[in-house]
Amino acid sequence: MKSRHFSMDALGDAIARLPDDRLTAIRNAAFAHLREHGLPTKRDEDWKYTDLAPLVDIGNQWLDLGDDVTPQADSSDVSDPIQKSIDADWLLISNGQVDANSIAALAQDGVTVELLSKHDSTANFSAPLTDLNSALLRDGLRITVDANHSIKRPIGILVVDIAATAASLSQIRADVIVGANSTLDLIEYHASSGEGEHYANSVINLTLEDNARANWVRIQDRDRAHNQTGRTAVTLGRDSQFHHCAFDFGGRLIRNDLAVDIAEPGSAAVFDGLYLAGEDQHIDNHTRVDHRVGPATSQQEYRGVLTANARCVWNGKAIVHEGADGTDAEQANHNLLLSDKAEIDAKPELEIYTDDVKCSHGTTVGQLDETSLFYLRTRGIDIVGAKQILTTAFAQTIVSKLPVESPRESLAELVSARLSRMLEAVVK
Amino acid sequence: MLEINNLKATIGTTEILRGLSLSVKAGEVHAIMGPNGSGKSTLAQVIAGHADYEVTDGTVTYKGSNLLELEPEERAREGIFLSFQYPVEIAGVNNAYLLKASMNAKRKHQGLEEIDAFEFLKLAKEKMALLGMDPKFLNRGVNEGFSGGEKKRNEILQMAMLEPSLAILDETDSGLDIDALRAVAEGVNSLRTPERAIILVTHYQRLLDYIEPDFVHVLSEGRIVRSGDKSLALQLEEKGYDWVREAATG
Repeated sequence: MKSRHFSMDALGDAIARLPDDRLTAIRNAAFAHLREHGLPTKRDEDWKYTDLAPLVDIGNQWLDLGDDVTPQADSSDVSDPIQKSIDADWLLISNGQVDANSIAALAQDGVTVELLSKHDSTANFSAPLTDLNSALLRDGLRITVDANHSIKRPIGILVVDIAATAASLSQIRADVIVGANSTLDLIEYHASSGEGEHYANSVINLTLEDNARANWVRIQDRDRAHNQTGRTAVTLGRDSQFHHCAFDFGGRLIRNDLAVDIAEPGSAAVFDGLYLAGEDQHIDNHTRVDHRVGPATSQQEYRGVLTANARCVWNGKAIVHEGADGTDAEQANHNLLLSDKAEIDAKPELEIYTDDVKCSHGTTVGQLDETSLFYLRTRGIDIVGAKQILTTAFAQTIVSKLPVESPRESLAELVSARLSRMLEAVVK
Repeated sequence: MLEINNLKATIGTTEILRGLSLSVKAGEVHAIMGPNGSGKSTLAQVIAGHADYEVTDGTVTYKGSNLLELEPEERAREGIFLSFQYPVEIAGVNNAYLLKASMNAKRKHQGLEEIDAFEFLKLAKEKMALLGMDPKFLNRGVNEGFSGGEKKRNEILQMAMLEPSLAILDETDSGLDIDALRAVAEGVNSLRTPERAIILVTHYQRLLDYIEPDFVHVLSEGRIVRSGDKSLALQLEEKGYDWVREAATG
């Protein structure tokens, strides 16, 4: 029987077992908030298509184990190849535990990386899953780029979960601040393995100060049986530039929330995404941009390829608040549905409360072009190969927008390998 | 090489080919002419294996085997090449990548190694020079943003690289200016060998000034109504298609 709610007593016990440190206050505050408000259900508009019940169930099984720490398994089998193939200064979070050695090893001028527990944090009740994250947080990362500094090498956050027990839960957290006139390139990579059930809940808080720039690549390639919810909340300072490029290949139930708050004029936000979903995968991308002031621009393009009984959601919300004159917001979402059983719920949402704005949105759902397929076949390419060529080209549009160079080759391979597996499964 | 006997083909409920017979031998160039709607392009598509056309009667034998049993890609690997009337634009697929993939698909079928990258580039540049194509086209998307003439040259480039046994050129002359027409014709003529057969599907006689056919066939209402040598094309140019139609029905 799947439960919609965490067993709060067991959750309280698990929180009480965490170390007493500078995060204790926000853990307790977040737990109290979660206890009062609970997690969203399918009755909430933003959660209409994604049911958290299976994840709560994993959480409760984990709480029943009564263990406050997920047993630490060696994650190097998963993490080593990733660290080798993508150039970055990697910080490692393994089963929700920050690897202190990786922090110590990072030595870039102008970049400070610390454990979150070294600082006082203030509780932020912006989202129920952030409450869950804060309540159960063992520790997190705090990354600061000094003002007037551009980093020389991308910073990587590598999240690896090894599900060694029957059920496990991990909380991932990074607070990142990019100082005025500085640039950060960051690669956030989520991977997992193991026979057990797993639910990872990630929260990223990113602040760009005036005239700062962040190029952020998020790659999710979890085991096909594991689950993840992730929330990235971004605040943009004056004249700042934010480019987010997100890739979802793995996972069973995946929900990503990207919330961008444009609180100062002159900023530009670009967010692109690609989701490749095959059998039994559910990938939900919700984006929200709040244009509180103008002029400022936001542009987003998400693309998806779905096969088998994949189910995906794209919901792009842009809110142009009163007085945010000079706002330019664009949204696009394109999908290839390669199976009768696949389903995409695509919903652009524009809420405009001011006059001087330019907003546009476009959503398409289609199949592969038959004429192109025939053309490729008359050139000797078999049907699977032809589909692979066309879907790769479709997906490549997003890869080509990568704002950070070092993961490009790995991503092209991930896209090609994932599409190839999805399409071979279709033929069988 | 190609024996078509009493071929009937429909699209939807419309019968387009109504008992067409044609014999093409290695080394020959055949021109198929005819008014719009006579079934010229359908014939080209049926030989290439387009699934929208259903063959309801007749046989097509290619190199002694039943062609109609083969998938389009198998036909291509066996040496059939169709130059499209409207080459497809495939955004995001690199022209060189497709060329190489096509060549390797065929080579694999023949039990050969994949083509060496250096050899490929050398060959491609050589063929492009012959067709008056800028080598930059190799790195563009397949036909993406190409002009009409550039697309047709690109088709002939593929043909030159793939070295088919049987090439079918569907309205390759349409939309070409005189320079492009000359370049394309030169490319085709360079591929005329005793081992290879070429079928030119065309509405106008103009192309045949540059590529001289051994045989000319006139198609009307899904049948070949008249065959002859290249002088037939000149007669057609002079008298129009009505002359053949009347002769056929009269």
